[in-house]
Amino acid sequence: MIELKNITKIYEVNKNNKVIALSEINLKIQEGELVVLKGSSGSGKSTILSLIAALSKPTSGEVIVDEKQISKLPDNFASLYRRDNIGFIFQKYNLIPTLSVEDNILLPLVPSNPDTADLSSKLHVVMKKFQIEHKKDAIVKNLSGGEQQRVAIARANVNNPKIIIADEPTANLDEKLSLHFIEILRELKALGKTIVVATHDPLFFNLDFVDREIQVHNGKLIL
Amino acid sequence: MKNKINMHLIEYAINSILRQKSKNFFIVFVFTVLTTILSSVFFVTNSIKYELDATVDALPQIIVQEMKAGRYNDIDVDKVDGILGITGVEDAVARVWGYYYFEHMGVNFSIVGLYEYEKQYKESFTKIIDSTKLTENSILIGAGVADVMKKSFYKDYFNFIKSDGTLKKMDIAGVFTHDTLLESNDVIVMSKTDAREIFDLEDEKAIDIVVTVANPEEIATIASKIELMYPNTRVITSEDIRVSYQNLFNYKSGMFLALFIISIFTFFIIVYDRASGLSSEQKREIGILKAIGWKVDDVLKEKFYEAFIISFFSYIVGVSIAFFYVYFLQAPIIRDIFVGYSELKVALELPFIFDLQTLFLVFFLSVPIYIAATIIPSWRVATLEADEVIR
Repeated sequence: MIELKNITKIYEVNKNNKVIALSEINLKIQEGELVVLKGSSGSGKSTILSLIAALSKPTSGEVIVDEKQISKLPDNFASLYRRDNIGFIFQKYNLIPTLSVEDNILLPLVPSNPDTADLSSKLHVVMKKFQIEHKKDAIVKNLSGGEQQRVAIARANVNNPKIIIADEPTANLDEKLSLHFIEILRELKALGKTIVVATHDPLFFNLDFVDREIQVHNGKLIL
Repeated sequence: MKNKINMHLIEYAINSILRQKSKNFFIVFVFTVLTTILSSVFFVTNSIKYELDATVDALPQIIVQEMKAGRYNDIDVDKVDGILGITGVEDAVARVWGYYYFEHMGVNFSIVGLYEYEKQYKESFTKIIDSTKLTENSILIGAGVADVMKKSFYKDYFNFIKSDGTLKKMDIAGVFTHDTLLESNDVIVMSKTDAREIFDLEDEKAIDIVVTVANPEEIATIASKIELMYPNTRVITSEDIRVSYQNLFNYKSGMFLALFIISIFTFFIIVYDRASGLSSEQKREIGILKAIGWKVDDVLKEKFYEAFIISFFSYIVGVSIAFFYVYFLQAPIIRDIFVGYSELKVALELPFIFDLQTLFLVFFLSVPIYIAATIIPSWRVATLEADEVIR
């Protein structure tokens, strides 16, 4: 379902300073599969996630999702692709701190101008599922790290995406909350979602519901 | 059918404005002040221009003045007969009028001498004479004159100081109002006999002669005929006066222009400040929106709503304040630039002129510029790769 073909990604910091984030990598992820990308900081894990989510374009190579080349999509189509297919849980959550929980969760739905009733029902479902209903009107910046993460997860799921991407999801959480997140992942996997997690947290290693663990090192996959 | 206007997006824009209350309050405040200044300048200008046009329209078609060695002098009344003999002249009246300086209040009154039985050279004077009986030793005064006299405790009479230093006591017979206040506010109407006594003017002399021409197209021709008939006279047409009034108006407008330029300059500094970039938080927010599936045009639409709400609200408030300031408070301070040379003129009322063109002009000078200044930097960020912005 997700295929990365000969992907190279080079970040140009300036004319004289180039960083090779990924070098000629190939990867296939099947529908419903849960893949954990392991590796130290700067190994290229986040770049892989970013390419799958069409947040950036590869320097060379192809990213194919559901037989569609998404690496060459024009910007607006890439946005539509993300809106319809991707739920991204960022390391720093990337919530809008001055908005309420409800408003943050609904953000991905706003551009498609849904009916208010539809909006309310989707909001209700995800808030209940990720146990954040009691904080509906709270301003995000006033929430704890764990609560913020649940808001981020709810937002990533409000569109009912096929692919969930999580970048270092437990980096800012204590062990208890990290284990709680892992349980949430298990539930999402049970729902048939394709999940790609980038992490260096040992809690994710050797989990029974993880299909594959892939080591990323210096921009290459160690299979 | 799906509603074309995305109310959720508008709601988000309003929310976004409220989230940055202090910053947006400052922008609304400055924007409103500038719109108020701009609108006030235009409203006052329009009103004064209307007043001047009305005043000039009421002026005599031709005024004939006597010149002696290049210096203005009293004119012989019998020249009226010669002028009446020119074909096309409908009427000619010798005027007795002049300025009287009221030293106690430091203001000038315009004294106009009339005879009830004469055909008046202005329709307004006919109305005044018709409405109030003008007898010897009595005066009819404009509203502004009445106010000034009251301040000096002259309610029923006024003492004029004649050229020989003696006093002439005259009763105040009535106060008149007028369509064109700028013209009549400082006017005192009295009999020609009394006016001659105050100005020490002989019976066979007048200040000037006003001429009415049957066909307005012939004014210039008749003016030149009068000049030929009486080479020692200066003949002024209403068009000449219109031009000199216009010059005075333009000079005063220059001050307004300075105010206008300052307002625009300040506005552009704000616009430049906005256009020169977004804060890191604003950039990040755009990056997040892009990352969760907003298209560039969704971001730009939201920014458009945000800028439109702020600028249109400020515009409406600014224009409303300007309306109130100019037409209810009568534009204190700004109005004095135009009419402040005599205390009497302070009583001038700015007529209400509703000019859509002015409203559009202020709108186009402010709202679209602000919207563009908001959208352009947002567009720059929104077209970058989302990953680059949020990283």
